[in-house]
Amino acid sequence: MRFTRGPAATAATAAAVTLTLAVAACSGSGPAIGNGGGAAPKGQMERGGTVTMAWTGASPNFIFPLAPVTNTDGYNVNLVNPMWPVLVYGGDGGQSTVNPAESLYSSMTWTSNDKTVTINLKPWNWSDGTPITSRDFTFVYNMLKADVPNWNYYVPGLFPADVAGVSTPTAHTVVLNLTRSYNPAFYTEDVLSYVPLLPQHAWDKTSMTGKVGNYDETAAGARAVYAFLQKEGSDMATFTTNPLWKVVDGPWTLNSFQSNGDYSYLPNTHYSGPDKPIVSKWVNTTFTTDTAELDTLRAGGSIDVGTLPLNDIQQAGVLKSEGYSIAAEPFPGVAEIIPNLYNAQAGPLLRQLYVRQALEDLIDRPQIVSKVYHGYADPGNGPVPVQAFTQWASPLEKSGGPYPYSPSAAIGLLKSHGWKVVPGGTSTCQRPGTAASDCGAGVAGGEPLSFQLTYASGKASVDEQEAAIQSSEEQAGVRIALKSEPFNTLTGTAGTCTASSHPASTCGWQLVDFGYDPYQLYPSGTGFFNTGGYNNQGGYSSAMMDSLINATEYGSSASAFYRYEDYAAEQLPWLWLPLESDIFVYKSSLQGFTPLNPISGGLNPEVWYFTK
Amino acid sequence: MTWYLIRRAGQALAVVIGVLILTFIMIHMVPGTAARSVLGLRATASRIAIFNATYGLDQPLWRQFGSYLDQVLHGDLGTSYILQQPVSSLIAQRLPRDALLLGLSTALALLIGLPLGIYQAVRRNGVGDYLLSGVSFTLYSMPSFFFGIMLVAVFSVQLHILPPEAPQATSVGGMLADPRALVLPVLTLALINVATYSRYMRSSAIDTLAQDYLRVVRAKGLPERLVLFRHVLRNSVLPIVTIVGLTLPQVVAGAVVTEEVFNYPGMGLLFYQASTSHDFPILLGCTLIVGVAAVAGNLAADVAYGMLDPRIRHGGA
Repeated sequence: MRFTRGPAATAATAAAVTLTLAVAACSGSGPAIGNGGGAAPKGQMERGGTVTMAWTGASPNFIFPLAPVTNTDGYNVNLVNPMWPVLVYGGDGGQSTVNPAESLYSSMTWTSNDKTVTINLKPWNWSDGTPITSRDFTFVYNMLKADVPNWNYYVPGLFPADVAGVSTPTAHTVVLNLTRSYNPAFYTEDVLSYVPLLPQHAWDKTSMTGKVGNYDETAAGARAVYAFLQKEGSDMATFTTNPLWKVVDGPWTLNSFQSNGDYSYLPNTHYSGPDKPIVSKWVNTTFTTDTAELDTLRAGGSIDVGTLPLNDIQQAGVLKSEGYSIAAEPFPGVAEIIPNLYNAQAGPLLRQLYVRQALEDLIDRPQIVSKVYHGYADPGNGPVPVQAFTQWASPLEKSGGPYPYSPSAAIGLLKSHGWKVVPGGTSTCQRPGTAASDCGAGVAGGEPLSFQLTYASGKASVDEQEAAIQSSEEQAGVRIALKSEPFNTLTGTAGTCTASSHPASTCGWQLVDFGYDPYQLYPSGTGFFNTGGYNNQGGYSSAMMDSLINATEYGSSASAFYRYEDYAAEQLPWLWLPLESDIFVYKSSLQGFTPLNPISGGLNPEVWYFTK
Repeated sequence: MTWYLIRRAGQALAVVIGVLILTFIMIHMVPGTAARSVLGLRATASRIAIFNATYGLDQPLWRQFGSYLDQVLHGDLGTSYILQQPVSSLIAQRLPRDALLLGLSTALALLIGLPLGIYQAVRRNGVGDYLLSGVSFTLYSMPSFFFGIMLVAVFSVQLHILPPEAPQATSVGGMLADPRALVLPVLTLALINVATYSRYMRSSAIDTLAQDYLRVVRAKGLPERLVLFRHVLRNSVLPIVTIVGLTLPQVVAGAVVTEEVFNYPGMGLLFYQASTSHDFPILLGCTLIVGVAAVAGNLAADVAYGMLDPRIRHGGA
């Protein structure tokens, strides 16, 4: 599972990047390894058994579902969601869509020009037999409202800041009156998909020995409860013994936990949802590196589910002989190179759309997919991955995007804007000026078309990708100097750079590749490309883009999304890159593992079972 | 001797504080900030402010250092920014594991390396000496990650006789309860160190064997076995004592590569990961522990000199 949105998303991305050390593609020329959606179960179902899943570098450290802003460990989601799922369950089989059966709500009705949403909850129960009610929603809302900056999923302006009022007309009905109209799809899939329900009847207290009350109904009380739960949620020594954490509504309950990242679950025997666990125990074990994990897989150890790094894809045959099957899962995210539009040196160049177009024209994405990722990557035709989000990918993106690989188009663009193109050398501006056929504002005569591309080190596939880009850009005389840095160093030194504020200390980068940005259910552009967006590091700003993004979030037009998507694809606020898929290894006797849920990262162990 | 120990302890304290100050200054010179590194480069200003206030990073550097020293004197090494656990707990979890792994491998390396060195010295320039020298150089020149992976490939993947992972128990007792899992990581570290110890021992023993007093003891009819054990070993082992003393900080600093290969989260990985993520409390905590181990190891070596060689005394000389 991955969490994806908001300022916390960067740390989530960091965690995901760590995970992606074990992410790969497959050998050969095409997807011989699929998601397994059509695979028929083999053998007879066997109830019980222990399924062991391997992680690389995972070390969850917080169990309370509303983690504080200072705790950005993305693996906490993996620990928490099986016990306290969110209101809107993401991923239905192999599709990146809402899963109505697994979600906690039975219906969601939008009224008042999409400014009011009425949420009806399913008549499900907590593990202690108490019904899940609308009070559990208001409990969460009250805590977040009282101390909203201290929620690591909080996005300024969104839930709960955008809630004008909450009412609970019945025990299973919540009515949210919002401060503005929203696109229902956006709000359901990208906002409410982060909100869990929590057991007010067990957690509304301010100390372990105190009695449960309605403390959350005052702001001070809510803050005290929130602080108490966050404090308890950080005490790893009591994760399995604290009575608070025994009350769950997900399919699993925590059985053991070690601070090194090893933990296990037992089925929640009172789970009300449709998919009750079939195996009797789910063990998560962590490895320091994917190499150590692979060695254990190859040695025929006890791991039932693991990941296969790209560099070791040739081991697929060995693993199959050890009784494993392999499945690939398109990743719901966008991979990109971010141009710094306000870098002192490269900014004037990168602000020219034709320059960004030429750069994109020169990226041979099909070749990167084929040679670097061995066929297991989204083509990266625009802001929405066409493989993971078939329902949101526009016809333009599905047809290859606006900028298929074309060195001749790039050369034509540059020449038509006054550049002397020197293939294999360095192109230079010959016609400075702001006319349509000139180099553009801020570009001096004789200025070379050269950039520095900084990227996160540590992955051979990324090294290969950047080298391929460097090489293909040379065909139009674009010089790319490569610089790799550890991911955390990169995040510490490459900051947001905008027209209004461009501190030199964090604005020295020109082109940067952090890996990718994950999406939740709704692949919205908010935060990425809107003016001042929290992920808009390169300082891109366009009134048209802002308007189109707003339409996807606040409008009601069904076609608004495609309009935004195509505009973003064409305007290149980021340069689009292929995004590699996840490769999973699982015991062939384990059924139900595929199709992989893209949103939960393939984690649906409640439907897994062994066969005889 | 007592005065010597007090004086050395004072020096050690000064060294440790000096190391802490230097480390504190240096880690704050690393480009970027802890908040950005932990929260991500797209963290909002308000999030960064909360983070900095939580960890006192909005204070002047000298005040931060003062607060840190105060914490340390009260037994608190701070809380990891990334792992969100007390540094003392993290070290307490990992240090015994590394001490076991590196302690066992050092002991094994000494057990093999010292007799080997003496044997080579006695059989100097013989076939056995050349053969063992070749093996030693081969092992010494082999990167530990490669050697470890080779051992895993042979004994775990091909032969299936030893597990590829080190014991995953969190306590020393639990780890010792799974001795098979200790074999490969201990062997990896030990065999590489055998070369170091045996080469030093060989060189030192060759010098010792040329001493006149050995002719005397042999002339007195002392059996060769006792000559080697009582006189050659004891008089040749001093350089090894220095090396073993210098090994102590390595024992607590961990072995990054071996920890990675054998899925053995120890001090080495803890420090490495902290160094790439601006996790200052871990960096400072580990540095403190390694600094203390370094001065303690040197002190122990100096004291051992006096015990092994009566000619060396520390009584204020």
